Amino acid sequence: MGSISDSTLQALALLFGGDPNLWEIIGISFRVSLTAIALATPVAIGIAFLLAYGRFPGRRLLITMFNTLLSFPAVVVGLTLYILLSRQGPLGEWQLLFTQPAMIIGQIALALPILVAMGHSSLQATDRRAWETARTLGAGRLRSMLTLMREARFGLLAALLAGFGRIIAEVGASMMLGGNILHYTRNIPTAIALETSKGEFAQGIALGLVLLAMAFLLNGLLQLVQGKGRPVA
Amino acid sequence: MNQLLCRNIHKKFGRRRILEAVDISLTAGECLLLCGRNGAGKSTLLRILAGMERPDQADVTVDGTVRRWRQAKKRLLAECIYLHQQPYLFEGSVRYNLNYPLSGTRAARQSRIREGLEWSGLADLSEQPVHQLSGGERQRVALVRAWLRGPRVMLLDEPTANMDTTCRQRTVELLQALKGQGMALLVATHDPQAFSGVSERTLELHDGRLRESGLAPTELPDKVTPIGHRVRGTA
Repeated sequence: MGSISDSTLQALALLFGGDPNLWEIIGISFRVSLTAIALATPVAIGIAFLLAYGRFPGRRLLITMFNTLLSFPAVVVGLTLYILLSRQGPLGEWQLLFTQPAMIIGQIALALPILVAMGHSSLQATDRRAWETARTLGAGRLRSMLTLMREARFGLLAALLAGFGRIIAEVGASMMLGGNILHYTRNIPTAIALETSKGEFAQGIALGLVLLAMAFLLNGLLQLVQGKGRPVA
Repeated sequence: MNQLLCRNIHKKFGRRRILEAVDISLTAGECLLLCGRNGAGKSTLLRILAGMERPDQADVTVDGTVRRWRQAKKRLLAECIYLHQQPYLFEGSVRYNLNYPLSGTRAARQSRIREGLEWSGLADLSEQPVHQLSGGERQRVALVRAWLRGPRVMLLDEPTANMDTTCRQRTVELLQALKGQGMALLVATHDPQAFSGVSERTLELHDGRLRESGLAPTELPDKVTPIGHRVRGTA
């Protein structure tokens, strides 16, 4: 009990004392995950829009596929990409393994199904008259699409927050693709795993507190966003 | 666009025949009423004319030029506007909605919005969020928004459904004003009496075919009438 409270006190000291190693890990984590979500979001929204409003063969199969990928374990995503990016793999020439871009690719693969599935649900729930009204009021396809995204913004933002929540805290893919290299690919979850395995709980707890605070913040934002959503007849 | 002529419109949903060999013409400054029981295809016809629903077959002539559907659709979307029975207003204020179809400088748009608000008697509601509006107010906002876009043809689906007498009267007055400005109006309604002061003619959709209301299909004229509306008898 004593060691836990000691570790917690040390963790707080590390956090608020501005420990450079700790804050560097936090910085890497946010840089990688924010880049991944920024790259994944436009693609995911495009796919979600196509699935919600397009009519083409294989549409239902694609929806089922993205819903299935929601429950795909991060470590399996990591393994698949590891095989692809490893020296013997088909993308080995790119020499991306154990780099931040590899982690970003892994996180995009993890975020995409969440963003597509939740984005699709929220766009599909939007009144179809919104699209028709935009078109009949003279908006082109792109403007009509942006209008629809505005109408579904609360659901889309919820998708974004859920996607970010998943990738910032995942350990499997980051560990396999990033390699947990200090000052380069060590992020919050991989650092927690490493420090815990060494029996050094202070840094692990400090980083855990950051994740916890962020989860609280994201959920708070989600509540705020969903509370603001108002169905329009 | 002075005249829109759509001939030989066919539309099926699955095996269900909705429209069969329907001919209709709309000329600037005229108002036609479209009647028919629920499910007769009134909304489908309006949506086809608005370029929002692809017909199985149709010959569209705009100002004397026959166009293929792909070309016609662009022209119809540009020239016609369709108002849903329950109009959809984008989330935000009345002003946001009225600004939507406008282009040009901010000052020009503001001026047009003011004009629209005054024209419709909605000036007090400009900053009101649309979810706080009554059904009649929503309908009028949608009508003004459509007017601000400046279409040549307005296709209205039950514009006075569920309105009280005052609201209905106000809407009819607005339609009268639109007609006076040279806009062609096609109004789908179950209550033609409400529009008796605006409309010259009433058409009826029955079994997928369009006929002059009150006339048997065999008595229908088979040529374009002086006001530009053509109805073809059953084959």
